Amino acid sequence: MAKARAIVKRRKAVQNIKKITRTMELIATAKFKKALDRATEAEAYTRKIAELVADLGATAGDVSHPLLQDRPEPKKSLLLVLTSNRGLAGGYNGNVLRAATRALTDANTDGISVSTEVAGRRGIVFLKYRGLTPDATYTQFEDKPQFDEVEPIADKYIGMFLRGEIDRLDVAYTRFINAARQTAVVDTLLPMSVAQVGQVVESVRHAKQAEMSKSTRKGEPVPYEFLPDAASILEEIVPVSFKVRLFKTFLDAAVSEQISRMVAMRGATENADEMIKALSRLYNRARQSQITGELAEIIGGAAALE
Amino acid sequence: MSTGTISTDTSHQLKCVVVTPEKTLFDEAVEFVALPAFDGELGICPGHTPVIARLGYGELRTRVGATIKRYFIDGGFAQIRDNVVTVLTSRAIPAALVSGPAAATELATAQARTAKTDLEQAEKAKAISRARALFRIASH
Repeated sequence: MAKARAIVKRRKAVQNIKKITRTMELIATAKFKKALDRATEAEAYTRKIAELVADLGATAGDVSHPLLQDRPEPKKSLLLVLTSNRGLAGGYNGNVLRAATRALTDANTDGISVSTEVAGRRGIVFLKYRGLTPDATYTQFEDKPQFDEVEPIADKYIGMFLRGEIDRLDVAYTRFINAARQTAVVDTLLPMSVAQVGQVVESVRHAKQAEMSKSTRKGEPVPYEFLPDAASILEEIVPVSFKVRLFKTFLDAAVSEQISRMVAMRGATENADEMIKALSRLYNRARQSQITGELAEIIGGAAALE
Repeated sequence: MSTGTISTDTSHQLKCVVVTPEKTLFDEAVEFVALPAFDGELGICPGHTPVIARLGYGELRTRVGATIKRYFIDGGFAQIRDNVVTVLTSRAIPAALVSGPAAATELATAQARTAKTDLEQAEKAKAISRARALFRIASH
């Protein structure tokens, strides 16, 4: 009886875990939908900026802005790592941290001194374990990063870059390509290239949209009046574009985190289901063998009395 | 002059769209828009010529009939074309939510900032003009 009871206990435990993982999956799904909505809403801004840059580019010619200046021999760079505050998100944090570690080793072999900044408790714990101390840590970013929260960070980076405290800014985060694909990448955000200023986003979906907007805007260019003039507006757009790009990495990371968690929890729920089945089978067998054993004992006892 | 592309039809209503990095905040048909351009206010009625303008800190006003909506605009850009006014700004706050005392303290801290380099001075000037604009809207 002892064995069968132990199995029942274990099955109950698995059932409880399944309840939890199932709930987490549902929560992650809801959060993912919200995060994706936010990311899509945020695209309107990037698209408009790209449109403006295209309109201005035709008139303005070359742009020069300190943020666009490529520094030939970077000595100091900053790596911002975006991880999640909570675990149980499958390979999400692991992938980002692996990409970040690779970037760090690469920079070290190139002789660049890298300072790191981390968002998310998971990344902070990881770096501590590796014996690195990040320059700054952020834990306020959950599933809904606000522009108001990201902007001060962006301003700080712009200041650091302009003052020459850093020559390069990289961000390690999970890029959201589509609902089925997210990849951990390290992107260089500073210095920016002129192409990046007007770039909407790289993914296929957006490329299609850009194509559509291009085709609808064919024909003669709109005769704009510029206040004050095209070049100086374009110069003002550069820092704005950087801020939006940084904001987008946070949004992407938030969406990807929820997807990873959703997928991981779905897997866990399925595994729990399988485990419950296996345990039930085991329990039935144990119970049957116990009954058989008892029957044998009774028959044996009756036979002995005869 | 190629006036063919410029809409001269003034009977049309304007459309005003305010976009922030987070979302499209405002998308409505209006009769008149006043924008805080970098060097002063810019009023737009239907049939305006296409313009791309840099915005300063200040008040965005839209009018439909007798209802006027006011927002604080935190810099950015405006694009006017085909009777659509698109305002790109990092922040747009409804004027009712701008608090006077908070703006006053912001102005005080901005003025108290020490600025030694050119960069810092430019930042200080920006902070002051932003705080002043906030204050103006709050005391309206």
